[in-house]
This record gives sequence, structure tokens and C-alpha cells, in this order.
Amino acid sequence: MLARTAENLYWLGRYLERAEGVARLADVNLQASTEQLAGTATDAWEAVIATLGAQEAYDAAQARAMQARSQFQMTSDVVFQQQTSAPGDPPMPPLVSPEEFLIFSTQNPISLVSTIGIARSLARETREYLSREVFEEINRLYLTTSRASAQQALPALYANVKRSVAAILGMFDNTVVLSEGREWFRVGLFLERADMTARIIDAKYFVLLPTVQDVGGPIDRYQWMAVLRSASALEAFRKEHRGPVTGPRVVSMLMFDRNFPRSLAFSVAALRRHFERATRDTPDTRVIRAAREVALIELDLRAADADNLVFRGLHEFLDEFEVRLNAIDLALQEDIFRARPDGIEANAGSEESAG
Amino acid sequence: MTNLFEGYEPGRGPDEMFTTDGQVRPAYRGLHARMSAWDADTYVRRQDIADIETMNGGITFTVYNDESGTERIFPFSLVPRIIVPSEWRRLEAGLQQRVTALNRFLTDIYSDQHCLRDGVVPAELVLDHPAYRARMRGFTPPLGVYAHIAGIDLVRDADGVFKVLEDNLRTPSGVSYVIENRRTMLNTVPDLFPDGRVEPVDDYPERLSEMAVAVRPEGIPADQVRTVILTPGAYNSAYFEHSFLARQMGVELVEGRDLVVDNHRVYLRATSGLERVDVIYRRVDDDFLDPVEVLRDSMLGVAGLVGAYLAGNVTIVNAIGTGVADDKTTYRFVPDLIRYYLGEDAIIPNIETYTGWREDDLEFMVEHLEELVLKPSDGSGGYGIIVGPQASKETLDAARLRIREEPRKWIAQPTLEFSTIPSFNGERLEPRRADLRPFIVTGESSWVLPGGLTRVAATRESYIVNSSQGGGSKDTWILRAEPAAADGEA
Repeated sequence: MLARTAENLYWLGRYLERAEGVARLADVNLQASTEQLAGTATDAWEAVIATLGAQEAYDAAQARAMQARSQFQMTSDVVFQQQTSAPGDPPMPPLVSPEEFLIFSTQNPISLVSTIGIARSLARETREYLSREVFEEINRLYLTTSRASAQQALPALYANVKRSVAAILGMFDNTVVLSEGREWFRVGLFLERADMTARIIDAKYFVLLPTVQDVGGPIDRYQWMAVLRSASALEAFRKEHRGPVTGPRVVSMLMFDRNFPRSLAFSVAALRRHFERATRDTPDTRVIRAAREVALIELDLRAADADNLVFRGLHEFLDEFEVRLNAIDLALQEDIFRARPDGIEANAGSEESAG
Repeated sequence: MTNLFEGYEPGRGPDEMFTTDGQVRPAYRGLHARMSAWDADTYVRRQDIADIETMNGGITFTVYNDESGTERIFPFSLVPRIIVPSEWRRLEAGLQQRVTALNRFLTDIYSDQHCLRDGVVPAELVLDHPAYRARMRGFTPPLGVYAHIAGIDLVRDADGVFKVLEDNLRTPSGVSYVIENRRTMLNTVPDLFPDGRVEPVDDYPERLSEMAVAVRPEGIPADQVRTVILTPGAYNSAYFEHSFLARQMGVELVEGRDLVVDNHRVYLRATSGLERVDVIYRRVDDDFLDPVEVLRDSMLGVAGLVGAYLAGNVTIVNAIGTGVADDKTTYRFVPDLIRYYLGEDAIIPNIETYTGWREDDLEFMVEHLEELVLKPSDGSGGYGIIVGPQASKETLDAARLRIREEPRKWIAQPTLEFSTIPSFNGERLEPRRADLRPFIVTGESSWVLPGGLTRVAATRESYIVNSSQGGGSKDTWILRAEPAAADGEA
């Protein structure tokens, strides 16, 4: 199939999964901060930003807002020197709230609104591969989220995003023909899912590591339940484990449980399966580097499971895991999606021809 | 409850639904009876459903002067244009005739140029035309077809006769709206349709695919033809249509960067390597097809494409260089071309047109300017038009001088009062002017899509149906059976 379309479908899978992930994290966080169990609401929001790897973009947005504020203060000082009466004062430019940044900001490339906007552009560009049902659902999701505002009930917005993405995936299964394009969509989806779950584990485990006296207490248990909720895993955990919610059990399930659809083991196995199907007709010269990275990441995970790695070197392992995911992505871009055609210069054929 | 038709006052021109004495024409009787049960609320409710469906379907355009990049839908009117079979058969024959003659003309001017030597069309008009591609001389595309896809704009004049307003032979657009409009109608007002008596329109993609196979390059087996659609990209205003046609035909939608030419053959950059391409339905203008040819850095084109085309290894649809045949001045000569090539009179007449290229036309233009609409021959979008009956004496005198100075730069036509169709104005129905663009697909033979795009003006007063001026569209019904004649009518 057309390489550019394959790449767009891959990113469509990634962005839809990312949108759902952002909505889920924001939703769980909203619950936690409402119940005031995880520090201040702002702390909790900022933790989510860190989890999603958007700290730099957030700091930059904050710095811009600060600058706007100080400039505003200077001008208003001059203008209002004589009359200091409050009623006439124009309102100060606000700082960027983490919530605003994470959900609505168009300057944040991974905000919910940005993510869905990108997914919709990709859907427009790959529409000939999607069914009418899938495109229209993505488009509807885009139209409703782009019209959403902070004034409305956010939980309803998150629920809508989650339901809509689930509907899209279901429609994809049932209305899009089995094809290479469909496999690339899945490759992107599961790569992003593995990435998201790895980030959740890493961030919760080390950024929000509770103080020693909290371990095993209600706060600790609540935090781990929140981690499970972030991965839509609480109900699954209850079904599989009779015992209490503890850190090691949660981490083990999210990483190694092959039966849980959001675990690293499940995502990576699905990634390999769909990659193999997508590249069935692709020559080895193009496939081999990505295939090697995909095989290695799966083996690494199995080795970690065998080692009973939960506390020892977890952070290092997850770091390495992210590096491997990036290596897969790079190999796909360079060798398959944007490969130069073998033996042909891009501008060949430009010499004068017969006729 | 107020009937939608209450207080309906026909405009200055003829009305498609009503006769001058207020009788409903036979073709519209069923529709009129059904819609008479509606009030404004009914209409608005149905319209809302249609609009939401269109919005969700992504059948939108972006408003660029709006910072938020708001997306809008083209206004759609639920009252269709209806044409009876006998009239449609005549239009169909007329459109086939016209497209056949235009293809013969294009073949001729790029080969032996008989029509120029015989003086049917002034040679300089063709050879000095900016859209004439001298490079194509001596090359005849498969089956001698240049305008594979044509959109011929028609209007019904004050005498009730359909006439040709304009030929579009480059990359005519709008056919996706024809198909989507029908779908919207079936989903929102199924109760307005007469039972099974409207010609379906969704055969179009199939016909396009058959045409592509028919005009494939020599040596490619019919069952192995690889067709692609070439688009300028997702930011093009007609992108929805490009994507729609790719989906409907089941072919790939490519951009210039997706194609590569090697040894005068065109390939597509696939995940598995390079794959041969045989037919390119391009929605990119001649000037942007191949940066090598126009010595210009075009991001849209494919370097070497024209060379591959001239080597006969790829068919480009529509052919390169058709622009000379759908020009405002060439239009004046089309009835002559039909007579010259086919020995027949034009079945669908032109609107009387006068061009400074002809001595007798020129004198008429100058003498009757106050009755005519004067247009620059190379203009588009309504720029530089002088409407004689509304212009001051000074303007007309100045215009006469300019015509004398550069007679070939002008054409003139009588002011045209064309037909209206009832359209909803928010409260009730009122007459709005409308044109009709049927689509003709030509491979082995010419096929006319039954119907076409009916474009309708935005207000009661307006004569302009273009979407850029706020115009909308309507579904077009070709009835499958002749309606029963009304009392006292033949």
C-alpha cells in the first residue's frame, strides 16, 4: 500500500489511543483531587502532565503567561497611577491552569483537544481506507470536543471521549476490511498503549512514591487503586486477585499479565502480531530492523518477568523500554514509511524524453 | 399552520415548479402535494437533520478568514430540481454531442489542425492561447479522448429552453455533492420521493473505473490496470471530493510526493517498494503537474510525469492541454465545431455570444452594448464585468473605446433571465435562480450521469450561484417515467 497512507494510519492509531489515555488519566485525577486524597488539586494535575511527558511544554506555557502578566502589570501601573480605585481595573491575565493546559490548550500538542484534532486530520487524509462509520465517529468526536469548554461538566467530556474511542475501535473491527492499512493502525495503537501504560507505572511509582509511614495504609492503597483506574484495570484486578491492592501486585499485573488488554505484555504481543501481518509482503531489507526491535522488546519483558523484577531496577527497565519503543518507531519511519526507493534517485526521469 | 407555498411569488424568469399562470407543472405535482402538508417547522426540523449529517460526514469547507478555522457546510436545499425523461433524453444527446465535438476539436488542434486551416476557429486564438500546450502536438492520447470528464453548465432561459452557459474540461468538480446530496435526501426526506421513479446517481464511480480501464496505456491487461487519483493535498478546497472518489472507486489517493518516475515509467512509493501506476486521474492543474516542464518549483507535481505520458506509459485524465477548448472565446465557436466535425446542428444551443475575434460580432457588440453584458475573455469570478442596462453612458463609451483598442479581449452576451426553483428562506419558499452542471464521462463512448449538480443562488435577487458567493445546492431528479399530463396540457 501507499507508504504515506500506511504511516498516517499508524499515527491515527497512536493518536486515538493517546486521546483515550489523556481522557482516562484526567478523569481518574479529577476523582482523586475532588476527594482530596492526593495533595492539592494542582499538584495532582501537574503529576498527570509529568506522566504524559508534557512538563517542558507546560513550563513554557507558564513562562509565557508570566511574561504577559508582568508586562500587563507595568502598563497598568502607568495607566492607573493616579486612580487606584479597584472597580475600573481590568482583570489580570491568568496563569495557565494545568487542567486548561491538559484538556483545552492548542499550544500543548498532547492536550485532549490537540490530540483529537490531529487524529481527525489523519482520518481525513486516510479516509479512503476507513469505513464511513469510522470516519464519521472520529469526526463527531472532533466536533464535540472542539466545541467543549471548561464551563461544562468535565467528567461528561471524558466519558464521551472514552466511549467514542471505544466505539471507533469496535467499528474498525467490524466495518474496515482486513488489509495492510488496518494492521498499521493496530501497530500504532498498541505501540502507544504500551508507551502509555509504561508511563503510568513509572510516574506513579517514582514521582508519587508515598512516604514510608504511608505504605500499606489507606492513602497508599487508594493511590494504587488510582493507578489501576488510570489503566482501566481496577475491575480486572478484582477478578484476578482476591487479596488486597498492593504496589507489587498492581505493577506485576500492569506489566506482565498477558490476559489484561492494557498490560505491557499484552500490548507488545499484539504489536508484534500486527506488525508481522502488516509486513507480510514487505521485503526483508525494509522490515528487518523494526522486526528485530519488536522481538527484543518482547524478550526483554519476558526476561524481566522471569527475574521477578518489580522493585529492583524497575525505573531503569521502564527507561530502557521507552528507548526500545522509540527505536521501533524510528525503524518504521526510516525503513518502511519514508524509505528511499531502492536504486532510484527521487528526481530520476527528469531528463528529456521521447515525444 | 402556514403552508410553505403560501404567498409564493414567481421571479422575473420562468419557474421550474410553476407555470406563469400559477399552475404546478406535471413533474412537480407529487412533490408539491407532499410538501404542501409541511409548515416552516417541518422544514427546519428536516433541514437540521440534513445539516448535522453533512457536518458529521465531514462534507465541509474551512472558513480561512476566521481565526478558529471554523468549518461550514455548503447550504443545501431540500426542494429538488425535477426533469422529465423526454427532456432529459434530449439533454443527454446534446451533451454527448457537445463532448464528442470538443474531443474531436482537441485531437485536431494537437495533430493536423484542419479546423484552423479551414478557418472554423481563428488559428491565433488556439495557438497563442495560454492553455495551448505545443509540447502535446503530435501526441494523441488513447482513444483520442482528452476530456474524459466534462462538466457542462446549463441554464434554462426565459423561453424555457436549456442552453449551455459554460464548458468545464479541465478538472470539473462537484460530482461528490451530487452523490452525497442524494444520500442526504434519502436519509432525511425519503417521504418526498415518488416510489422508485428517480434515476439513481451512484453508478458514477463504476463508470469512472470503466473509463480508466478503457483508456489505459497500450500493453496493460484490462484486469491489471492500476489507477490512482492525484490530489494537491488535504488543504485543497476540493479535497473532500478527491478523497470521496478514491473511496468510491477503491483506488489510492496520492500526492505528487507519493509518485516517482524512472525510465519514463510512473511508480507509487509503497510500503513494499515501488509499484507501477497506469492511469492517473489528476485533480491538479496542467501548470503544476510536472516541475520539469514548467521550470517552476511545484511541490504538487511529479518530476518527469509529462515525459512518461508522452512515452505512452501512463494515461493522464483529463489530458494535458484541454483548457484551450473550455475558454470563454472558444465557447462562441462550439456550435460551428459541432457542425464541422459531426455535420449536425447543436442539440443544446449556446447563449448568443459575441466576440471581438469576428468582425460582424464586433460591430454588433459596439452598437448594442447598452443591452449586453460585457466580459473580459480571460477573466473569471465576475471580475471586470459591465452590465449594459445598468451602466452609465460614460462607462459604456469608455468600454466601447476599450473594445475597439483590444477587440479580442472581450466577449458580450445578452442579459440572461434564467429559471428559478422554490427554496426555503427561513419562513417560506421563494424563487431562487439555479443552474445545472451535468457530468459526462468519456472512454469508449460518452455516458451522462442522470442528473447533475443543481446550484442555487443565495438570495431571491441574486444571479450568482457560485458557492464562493454563498450559493447552495439541490438534489436533481431525473424521473424514470413521464408524469401524467395535467388537464388541458399536452
